[in-house]
Amino acid sequence: MLIHKNMKLSEVVHHDHTLVPIINRFGIHLGFGDNTITEICQKHGLNVDFFVTILNAFHDIHYFPKEQLRNFSVALLIDYLQKAHRSFLEEKIPEISLLIKNMTEKCPLDVVTSQLITNFFKEYTEELKKHIRQEEETIYPYVLLLEKVNQNLPVDEGASGKINHYSISAYKAEHEDVEEKLFDLKNILIKYLPGQKNDKPVYQLLRELFSLEKDLNEHARIEDMILIPKVEAMEKTLRNKNPNGPV
Amino acid sequence: MKNVVVIEKYYLLQAGIQALVQEIPGLFLSKSWLGDEPHLTEIILKHKPDLILVNPFSLSGENISLPGKFRSSRNTKVLALLHNKDKSQSISGFDDLLFYEEDRFILEQKIRRQAGNVQNPGTNHQELSPREITILRWIVKGLTHQEIADKLFLSIHTVNTHRKNINKKLGIKTVSGLSVYAIMNHLIPMEELAEK
Repeated sequence: MLIHKNMKLSEVVHHDHTLVPIINRFGIHLGFGDNTITEICQKHGLNVDFFVTILNAFHDIHYFPKEQLRNFSVALLIDYLQKAHRSFLEEKIPEISLLIKNMTEKCPLDVVTSQLITNFFKEYTEELKKHIRQEEETIYPYVLLLEKVNQNLPVDEGASGKINHYSISAYKAEHEDVEEKLFDLKNILIKYLPGQKNDKPVYQLLRELFSLEKDLNEHARIEDMILIPKVEAMEKTLRNKNPNGPV
Repeated sequence: MKNVVVIEKYYLLQAGIQALVQEIPGLFLSKSWLGDEPHLTEIILKHKPDLILVNPFSLSGENISLPGKFRSSRNTKVLALLHNKDKSQSISGFDDLLFYEEDRFILEQKIRRQAGNVQNPGTNHQELSPREITILRWIVKGLTHQEIADKLFLSIHTVNTHRKNINKKLGIKTVSGLSVYAIMNHLIPMEELAEK
């Protein structure tokens, strides 16, 4: 299903209820009534094309926005990506930690296994945090600066130097290790969990891990498919304007 | 499981190929593309496909050179998706040709044959060998592949191959994940884990 802005948001959620947390990231909450996506976005002061693009990207992994790609600002995109980061760190991760605790108590698992899995997830969380920090402290500020320069908005002296010394190609998604750790955790639970007889708490945990994985993949895809091409286009324009600058 | 990726511009054809691949046991449909995505070769390399089913006429721009990049690779077989009318053009460099006009069972047979040709050691046999267990122990104790090679009088290349087979057999890639496995299976006591 291709989500269209004239559809009722309630119908969209009937088709795909996993969109609810994504919708929440925009400050929109359940109780949609019969309002269309356009109406709801107007009420919340949101860019409707951007909202629909994000919903489609999340709903259908094969969706790839072509026309809309250049219509919304990079600032809007980064604002969304940061909101997603918050929801990973403040909602998903604590929720999974609780489910791990629940599993170690109810299964029950021996002390060593419990400790191993708990530590493994802690380690994973630290790595995810580090990755997010790097994006927010290095990459996003650079991209925002680039957009300002491209729109001929004033930037301070040191900033233009920064642009000459950085390039988005230096950042080609090194999401990999974070992805692999999450996969390993799932596989350890599915294949190697020793001698327990109560699958329900493990299943609850697995479901959340699969959901986090989907969310993270989606996030990486939005970065790779939308953010990076936009940034590369801006870098190219800038270099053409200023051929004396470093390549 | 053999990893399959599909490149086909037209949605209906792509959906049909995907359905066929999903019907064949032992194959896993990893992802599909239209053929015009930027940096497609690099993206596909990351997926480490065993089989690539590609309509060469769907490829545009830099992606045109994509099938060539995988030519004569032992680990990846490339099959062209074509119409009968394309037979007249010189199509070369593919491990086999699939025609849209062909019967389902012929297509399935061709795909299975190529899947069987992919060199993929150790995937059906999950038990680690004694050598692999030794290497796994050193890995989770925090030794580098070079250090392990020196200790066991092996080349680093051999250690790398063992590591790849361990990852494949267990379905665990990271050192942290391997550590959890090793302790849970009493291959190593907790105290001997590498300091983080």
